[in-house]
Amino acid sequence: MTTYPILTVTTFLPLAGAVAILLLNQRLARWMALATTVATLAVSVPLYLHFDKTSSALQFVEAVPWIPSWNVTYGMGVDGISLPFIFLSVLLSVLCVAVSWTAIQMRVREFYAALLVSETAMIGLFACTNFFLFYLFWELMIVPMFLLIGVWGGAHRTYAAVKFLMFTLTGSVLMLVGLIALLYASGSLDFQALAHTTPRLSLPVQAWLFVAFLAAFAVKVPMFPVHTWLPDAHTEAPTAGSVILAGILLKMGAYGFLRISLPILPDAVQLFLKPMLVLSAAAIVYGAYVTLAQTDIKRLIAYSSISHMGFVTLGIFTLNRNGVEGAILQMVNHGIITGALFLCVGIIYERTHTREIADYGGLFKVAPIYSTFLALFCLAASGFPGLNSFVGEFLIISGGFRAWPWLGAMGVWGVALGTTYILWLFYRVVLGDVGSGLRGPSLDLDVREVATLVPLVLLALVIGFYPESVLGFLRASVTQLLGAVSGPGEIAGRL
Amino acid sequence: MTDLILLLPELVLVGAALALIVVARHVQSAQSAAMWVVVAAVAAVCSGWAFPSGGPSAGFGGTIAGDGYAQFFNVLFAAIAALAALLSVRHLNSEHVRPAEFFALVLLATTGMMLAASAMDLLIVYLGLELMTLCSYVLVGITRNKAISNEAAIKYFLLASFASALLLYGISLSYGVTGATDYVAIASAVSEGSLGQHPLLLVGVALVAVGLAFKIAAVPFHSWAPDAYQGASAPVAAFLAAGSKAAGLAALGRVCLVAFAPELRIWSVILIGLSALSMAAGSLLALSQTNMKRLLAYSSIAHAGYALLGLIPGTPSGASATMTYAFVYAFMTLGAFGVVIGLGERGEDLAGYKGLASTAPGTAALMFLFLLSLTGIPPTAGFAAKFAVILSVVRGGHVGLAVLAVACSVVSAFFYLRVAVFMYMTEPQGLTPGRLPVGVSAALAVAAFVTIIGGMFPETFTAWTVPP
Repeated sequence: MTTYPILTVTTFLPLAGAVAILLLNQRLARWMALATTVATLAVSVPLYLHFDKTSSALQFVEAVPWIPSWNVTYGMGVDGISLPFIFLSVLLSVLCVAVSWTAIQMRVREFYAALLVSETAMIGLFACTNFFLFYLFWELMIVPMFLLIGVWGGAHRTYAAVKFLMFTLTGSVLMLVGLIALLYASGSLDFQALAHTTPRLSLPVQAWLFVAFLAAFAVKVPMFPVHTWLPDAHTEAPTAGSVILAGILLKMGAYGFLRISLPILPDAVQLFLKPMLVLSAAAIVYGAYVTLAQTDIKRLIAYSSISHMGFVTLGIFTLNRNGVEGAILQMVNHGIITGALFLCVGIIYERTHTREIADYGGLFKVAPIYSTFLALFCLAASGFPGLNSFVGEFLIISGGFRAWPWLGAMGVWGVALGTTYILWLFYRVVLGDVGSGLRGPSLDLDVREVATLVPLVLLALVIGFYPESVLGFLRASVTQLLGAVSGPGEIAGRL
Repeated sequence: MTDLILLLPELVLVGAALALIVVARHVQSAQSAAMWVVVAAVAAVCSGWAFPSGGPSAGFGGTIAGDGYAQFFNVLFAAIAALAALLSVRHLNSEHVRPAEFFALVLLATTGMMLAASAMDLLIVYLGLELMTLCSYVLVGITRNKAISNEAAIKYFLLASFASALLLYGISLSYGVTGATDYVAIASAVSEGSLGQHPLLLVGVALVAVGLAFKIAAVPFHSWAPDAYQGASAPVAAFLAAGSKAAGLAALGRVCLVAFAPELRIWSVILIGLSALSMAAGSLLALSQTNMKRLLAYSSIAHAGYALLGLIPGTPSGASATMTYAFVYAFMTLGAFGVVIGLGERGEDLAGYKGLASTAPGTAALMFLFLLSLTGIPPTAGFAAKFAVILSVVRGGHVGLAVLAVACSVVSAFFYLRVAVFMYMTEPQGLTPGRLPVGVSAALAVAAFVTIIGGMFPETFTAWTVPP
């Protein structure tokens, strides 16, 4: 165990970096941002090394009284469910700084400051141990994201930014009312206390709270039918923004289900189980069909996220070990793969300035290294054995079959469609004749870009061949979570 | 003599105002006059420490209170006066307004606000609020050669005198029923004589509520605010938005929780109506505004609704929440007005904010901070205040009202952040704005400090909120 408040340092180091960047001159901004994100990654390393995988308790706990009149403490701590996302957040932040190195030429300081503030919000959200802080970081995430999309985005950036803001804000203010009602009903906002020590709330109260929180989480995931902000936001955001959106922001909603809805409102979860599963299955299939129809690469990947996140919520609401572990693993996988695909799109867009699939073709002939990376990530996205997504999807579908066979069938259908759209994309972009849009001096990757993509390749391979590297962290915490949601009597029968 | 100690802050301000009037002909520099107001405000706050701590805290036959409630609002009003003075220097110079007269009126209006917060008697409250409003009429119309100011002052005067008449009528009705204007006496008369259902008393309570709702610009008694704010110069609008609202809330808090405490059912219904209408109408009407002062006027109407939420349950903790809200709102709205003032002519039109983040990044960032706080997004003080009032209505069992409140804050996000969209997401237009005047910078720094600290450490200020 460490003696200094490691989670606080990890969380607020990027914020300090953001302040420093705003004070520094323009030319140092990129280096300062890189230094900050790398330092944050380095600071977070002891978290993974010293984490006790056999325990489901919160670790690296910090607690300082903060607002006694609302019974709110400043509490930090991680368990097996939150730790992988902290790692994902700090890693993707480094890559986002790297990929924006030449792409962002306007208001560089402000860009990196916004990026770093969003990193603080991401880490803090996964590291906090009470609902008040959770809400704080949740909202803190919206502001830099709004600016990232609206200032450095594409042609329709203002529309996309405002749409993103209005959707997420509508969801989160309902969560605020739920949070306040929860504070009033239970007298506490501490996750552990709410899940284990405060008296269980009555079913109607739980159901209303579930709906209030669902409003926030479903928009963030996003679940069908409140997904419509996502294609605009992802498409218009700058590359780094898309990566953060897809990699982390979408996970916040699913994490909310795992951290709040399941353990704190177990009876309401049982009540809403079927509707949630049906919505998830609808997202998988509907998302996949819409993806098939896209002609813009970025939009295609954005829509595929809806389908993939459908798998995640499906896994969560199967409420069995395979499903939940698969869902968490798939959240990590989606962060890696979709993050990587957005990086790839951003890298090629910087050269060709087009995202229309029709303008591409034969990329392998002009950019072989790039095409190899893209091939690998496309295979991973389609659930190719030996790569990370395969394990996650397999676990979720097997959990789905166990919970409700129809769901498993929907999942298989979604995987089949997923393979189709992603390989069809690959076919149209990389194979065939060289496309009309591919003019330019050098289309292939330089060293910086290779270095940006390599960590994600490694992660995809490591998780693919040795899924225990992530699952090992989850096991104890998932056991505790399932125990909380289904009651001690039922758990043996369910597993 | 000990009674006078309770009025020390008011006396200090009156003295400062009289001194200004005496030397008015010789005061040429708006800057030094503004510094005089700041000094007077600080002196008034310091004189508040002379309050007897622990001993009896009411004087003048129980009509003036010297409790923590009064002290909290005295500090707030002094701060509002000082910040408004700092914000108005450039305006006075450019409009050739005589600084001494202007600042004397500001000081006297502040005195009226303080009196309204310390009053334990309906007539004293009336006196305080009238002193404030009379000075405000003149402040709104002080740029005599501007037609729009004259129009605003006349409208404000006509509507406000009507509202004052209603307030006075309500006071006389409740006097007729209870035989007292003193809060404590009213409360005991109502509960002992079981006058709760007396129809005249109900009318009296309703009329008093209307008169006070007018001061805080709650719907449907809000129609003066947009015109008055737009017609008045921006510093005066800021002073009215922050001060008049806080004074009205201070008076309302005491009237509801002390004088008419046995009538909780009646006035909480009235307050629910006022609050819901203000939040909804204020937010919706602000959507179509393109003049910044008008936009902030409608925003102030919506915020009146949020602030009233805390009084609805009639509990001390709810009253504390309303006090927090009044405090935080004063600073964030003074901050937003401060940016409007700092930008001069272009600051009054929404289009003037285009591309501000490229031409004046610091000013734009401050405006963004105040807008986030007005929207209620953490970690700003506006969020903490909104959390406090919503928590108190949920405790009071009005979850529907809480949902309405947050729904309105989503609507308000749309128009607040439209300013942010203009600042950050459009190309700059026109000339680069000049540097902010020193006074404006100082006022903005104070407002930003309160907005940030109040958000990160809400207890810093809530610890001082002593319910009546």
